[in-house]
Amino acid sequence: METLNELLGGFASAMTWQNLIFAFIGCLLGTIIGVLPGIGPVAGVALLIPLTMNLDATGAIIMLCAIFYGTAYGGTITSVLLNTPGEAASAITTIDGYAMTKIGKAGAALTIAAVGSFVGGTIATLGLVAAAKPLGELGLLVGPPEFFALMVVGISLLVALAGKSMVKAVISGALGLLIAMVGIDPVAGAPRFTFGMDRLLDGVSFVAVIVGVFGLSELLSHRKGAATPTVHAPNFRSLLPTSREWRRSAPAMARGTGIGFGLGLIPGMTGSVSSLLAYGAEKKFSRHRNELGKGAIEGVAGPETANNSHANAALIPLFTLGIPASPTIAVLMGAFLQQGLTPGPTLFTEHSEIAWAIIASLFIGNLLLLLLNVPLVGLWTSILRVPPSILTALILLFMVIGAYTINFSVFDVFVMIGFGLLGLALRHLDIPLAPMVLTLVLGPLMERSLRESLEISQGDFGIFVNRPISMVLIAIGVLIICSPMLKLRKPKALMEDPET
Amino acid sequence: MTTKSVIARPERTTRVAPSVLVGIGVFAAVGVYVLVNSIELGLWTSLGPGPGLFPFAMGGVLVSMSIVWLLQELRRPTETPEGVDRGLVIAVVVSLAILAAVMDLLGFQLSMFLFLMYHLKLRSGRTWTSSLIIALAGSVGAFYAFNYGLNVALPVSAFPPLNLIGL
Repeated sequence: METLNELLGGFASAMTWQNLIFAFIGCLLGTIIGVLPGIGPVAGVALLIPLTMNLDATGAIIMLCAIFYGTAYGGTITSVLLNTPGEAASAITTIDGYAMTKIGKAGAALTIAAVGSFVGGTIATLGLVAAAKPLGELGLLVGPPEFFALMVVGISLLVALAGKSMVKAVISGALGLLIAMVGIDPVAGAPRFTFGMDRLLDGVSFVAVIVGVFGLSELLSHRKGAATPTVHAPNFRSLLPTSREWRRSAPAMARGTGIGFGLGLIPGMTGSVSSLLAYGAEKKFSRHRNELGKGAIEGVAGPETANNSHANAALIPLFTLGIPASPTIAVLMGAFLQQGLTPGPTLFTEHSEIAWAIIASLFIGNLLLLLLNVPLVGLWTSILRVPPSILTALILLFMVIGAYTINFSVFDVFVMIGFGLLGLALRHLDIPLAPMVLTLVLGPLMERSLRESLEISQGDFGIFVNRPISMVLIAIGVLIICSPMLKLRKPKALMEDPET
Repeated sequence: MTTKSVIARPERTTRVAPSVLVGIGVFAAVGVYVLVNSIELGLWTSLGPGPGLFPFAMGGVLVSMSIVWLLQELRRPTETPEGVDRGLVIAVVVSLAILAAVMDLLGFQLSMFLFLMYHLKLRSGRTWTSSLIIALAGSVGAFYAFNYGLNVALPVSAFPPLNLIGL
């Protein structure tokens, strides 16, 4: 009952006209980012953080969350109409989505994808509502050693699941932690890795690093020959699926919701894995599995429901434990921290009103996206007709503004350029970028909890194994890291995960 | 980018690619630098863990992982993906660096206008009309939208004549 009251209070706050506008703008921008093939959700969310800098914390996070799940909706459009995923989590949708376009059923595919995304996103948000209080209260019981151990598990999972080589993933994670350590040491006050530059005393701008590593490097890694695609928006009548298509989609949506929700809770699992597994589930359980690959509606409904369910479920570990489950959520966490909010159990005690307003806005945002996406499909497809050279110039414009406005310093633009080149090198060496962004955000928190733990124990590392919760968590982390030695095989879907 | 291209894996080859060796060398060198610097920062103080403890651990991880990677490459080299479009990389990086260098002097509007004109007209060969419209919208338009719409101040020129006319 208390939860319901707090949720209703959250709705009251989220439904002020200002917050509704922020949610609307966020959905709009998120969809555009999702539609544009050149820019992924991680860089997209980071890039738009400056837009929210002068907003109040609630409005800023509502807008950024809307951008985040808006990308999941937008990515579908290009997958279905162009056979080109706007973002990696929609890659598998191209198979049946584009096949449906070829047989003149693009409208039905887009509508089912939007409805599936709404269903998956809304059910996952209900899960967040149910889990928020109990998990948050549980989180309050943990001290610095348990918090450190929890982060070890989160990072271990991401490192173990990212990319094909764990060695490269560990290097990526270590680089992120080292970048996070640049600046004044929070405990002793000593400058670290500043190379004598005063501008680095406050550390490296998180937004500049993310925009460089994910956005600029993506743009730099493009090859010649990208032409403006020919795309036709389906007319309004064709947007309505038949009753048979609705009936066939319902079980696929149910399976997709379950898969996306379950995997969204696990740090390191990306939306792409959920979509791939949801497609796999359709291949196994769908009554019409023999039609998959030839334009079966289940091949759109399952993966699209799964990736949105995943996106919303991934907010549960962030809100309740302060652990980001994916790179995009790590960027969101960075935005929370910049607004003076620490995600985790204390969020519900110290900033309860804001936390519930954001949760309520997730329901509103999902509804807005459903209403925006299908009727405005013509607008989204017109964005795709913009020539790549113009898009590149405009993306560069936003990158410069994004990097500059964090500290109002051109130094951060240089930081972005430097990290863009680093990102390009990492891509060239096939080093996954996801662990880096996670450790970049978690680094300072992780170091603080390690040092607080050791101060409590007067330097005895045994504190991590003497306390039962931290002992179990550390054991899980070690097991995950040692999994290659134990010959534990990574699931095929993870090996093929384009997001990592 | 199709599904097939997204999930394509690099092929196996018989020799370690030079770029991979350079990469491993750079990571190992960064690791060694961090290790040395961390010791100077102090691993332990009378109050407990020092500022160098955590970086020291990360430096150690970086060095050891570089060694493991090298051993893996020597045993089973992987082929790196095809190279990037160097012309694009140079054009974008150099133009961005020049933009960042002159933005405080010329102001956001003028420097961004020139930057966008370079990318739209010179690099992409778009028409004068479309280049001018987009460059003006992206420079003057963005300046006013951010300064007055979002209250986010973009820089004006440090030169009085430009400054006085609002640039």
